[in-house]
Amino acid sequence: MKLIQADQENLQFEMAHPEKFLLQQVLQCYPLVPATYHRLSKQKSDSNHEENQRLLEEALQAQRQEHRQQIEALLNDAKRFEVCAAGYEVRFSRVEMEWLLQVINDVRIGSWIAAGSPSPKAEPNPPPTKQTMMMEFAAYFEMCFLRALDGGKSSEHD
Amino acid sequence: MCYYFAMPTTVMPETIPDHQTDSKVSLEPGYLVICWDDPVNLMEYVTHVFQIVFGWEQEKAQKHMLEVHEQGKSVLVREGFERAEFYVHRLQKYTLQATMERDGK
Repeated sequence: MKLIQADQENLQFEMAHPEKFLLQQVLQCYPLVPATYHRLSKQKSDSNHEENQRLLEEALQAQRQEHRQQIEALLNDAKRFEVCAAGYEVRFSRVEMEWLLQVINDVRIGSWIAAGSPSPKAEPNPPPTKQTMMMEFAAYFEMCFLRALDGGKSSEHD
Repeated sequence: MCYYFAMPTTVMPETIPDHQTDSKVSLEPGYLVICWDDPVNLMEYVTHVFQIVFGWEQEKAQKHMLEVHEQGKSVLVREGFERAEFYVHRLQKYTLQATMERDGK
């Protein structure tokens, strides 16, 4: 996957057929992180702790639904991936890049949790599983996106 | 003037602290937004998220990312409840391990 053009608004990538397939596979896995993964606070002395935690989980759930709709729209957009000599050209806005990073990282972390949260130091060569492979694929796209964003001026979008 | 002399047992009003008008600090204690280490988030990713969420320059974002990595956590900002909650939520949207803790100071 290669960045071929970037401006203030958009980034355009070139990707091979297998890369497009893998990106679709990663996006279709979303969401993987359990709803109860995040805690608002480690302190439980606050009288509103339970209520605040419930509100946080509701907000994260709403965000997941929104991301799921964005993924569906992206994957069903026939004009999004244009055929080229190397495979496909695809353009993402910087706003899309931010939510794509959130989605891809969710798949990465969720796969790690599903794999039993293995420590990277525990076993040098753990046998590959579906989860560990998905982690690698997600990390690949994450790094491609981060390097592309790092090459241009990044602004706050969410 | 006689009026005052006729009231030798004038009681001075008791001063009761008005908690309603106390400073905002005592009403709303500070909350520390903390990012905790985990073995899975990529260092470049964490730096990027700090830049986006707080609008920091790369150098500052990287300093906090390294603090998380090497010391197990980094205090990112100290804010009132709502602002701290806002930041924690934004960090968690990126699947970072972030919490808000009441500042004991």
